[in-house]
Amino acid sequence: MEKELLQEDSQIIVIILIAIMVLLLMAVSLVLFFFFSRKKIIAAELEKANLEISYQKDLLHSTIEVQEEERKRIAQDLHDAISSKLNVVSLSTNFLIDGNLQDDEKDRTLQHILAVTTKTLESSRRLAHNLLPPILENFGLQAAIEELCDEFICSQKLQIDHNIVYTNLLSKSNELHIFRIIQELLNNSVRHGNATKVTLQMNEENEQVFIKYSDNGTGFDVKSVNKNKGIGLKNIESRVDILDGELSYDSKIGKGATFNISTNTPKQ
Amino acid sequence: MPLFYHIIFLIGIFFLILNTVIYSRALYRNKALVFFTVFLICSLIIQLTMRYIGAVLHESNLYMNNVFLIIQFILLSMFYYHLLNKKMVLGLMLIVLVFLCYQYLSDLGLIMVYNPIGITLTQSILIVYTMFYFYKSLNTERPKFLLINIGVFLYLICSTLIFASGNLIFNVNIPQETYLLLMKLNAIFYIIFQILIFIEWRKNYYKKIHRS
Repeated sequence: MEKELLQEDSQIIVIILIAIMVLLLMAVSLVLFFFFSRKKIIAAELEKANLEISYQKDLLHSTIEVQEEERKRIAQDLHDAISSKLNVVSLSTNFLIDGNLQDDEKDRTLQHILAVTTKTLESSRRLAHNLLPPILENFGLQAAIEELCDEFICSQKLQIDHNIVYTNLLSKSNELHIFRIIQELLNNSVRHGNATKVTLQMNEENEQVFIKYSDNGTGFDVKSVNKNKGIGLKNIESRVDILDGELSYDSKIGKGATFNISTNTPKQ
Repeated sequence: MPLFYHIIFLIGIFFLILNTVIYSRALYRNKALVFFTVFLICSLIIQLTMRYIGAVLHESNLYMNNVFLIIQFILLSMFYYHLLNKKMVLGLMLIVLVFLCYQYLSDLGLIMVYNPIGITLTQSILIVYTMFYFYKSLNTERPKFLLINIGVFLYLICSTLIFASGNLIFNVNIPQETYLLLMKLNAIFYIIFQILIFIEWRKNYYKKIHRS
């Protein structure tokens, strides 16, 4: 057999055998390569899915957190602004019923009751207004934002330079998200940034809404905020997420903050 | 030496019969599977006929090889057409079939010998399809027919060269035994191919059939 293989004509068979072996080797390594890449790709996809899930969980947690925070605030407001004052009214009324009061004392008590009820009424109106501004329902987003800005200008001594162009591009629920985002931004500027001047621009282009917001507050470190976001920013982020929009922000400590938001959702 | 060849040939045939029977029972499950099962049945019929013509009638059975070449190409092309879902597969199949017809008609003597160009062309195209299927199943968690695909890939790569060099058998200077070495190698690859097909069935269809 070996002799035969060494014959000149048999050389060709040897070459064919070698070629087959080389091909086989390459084919087997290709199959192995396929299996290893597949393993890697599936692991990467799994990781991606896990990341997505953890992000969703995070979002859910922050939503619940925001909700709890809101409830706490409402409870506090109800307690401070309404319950305690109604208590005063109830006490004063008791005094009146029990009698033994001079006329001028009665008069003063009644005046006091009237003042407290008026204040309580005003507080409850403000509370309801904060929960859902009626102007948004009745006059639309542009009017609501303008009113919001005016409120901040009056009460917080904040200078707001606003330029809002908007024509019913978004659905009602999305309008509310935009409103809440701007409300949150203004709150953050005042509460955390101690800002005195804010510029707010909102305009439309190609069925998209663009919002540009900047303040002159203390600013924040973008890197550390990215790692550990506060509830306010998380809230803004999840709302932008619902709008299927994009959010970008930039800030430096001591140099204010800039937020850019664009929506993607046409009117439903 | 021929005894050893007979034994591995019989083992190959045994697995082929086994696979044909078990795949026929799972036939209705999938369109791609139908073509693969028909391929197995045709392989079995042609192998047995070749054996009968060669060993019993002692005539040349090489023309069966050309028949098998075409049937294999058509059925496996259809198999991969259903796996890859690409119209291109059908188009390429028609072009190659037209080419093969032209080739055989222009040289009728080609039917009685191995057809190296036809073998290389058809099997290379099938190998490309297996590569496409590998690529397609890269990010699928449980791809169907993966083992069959590996089997087809390995067997076609190795056997292309063996069959393409088949006409060496007519070279009188090469001893029959030496050439038989290639045939033995082919038979061994064929057993591996059939075993992979069997494992595929065992993994995917055995439980389903026995549950229902």
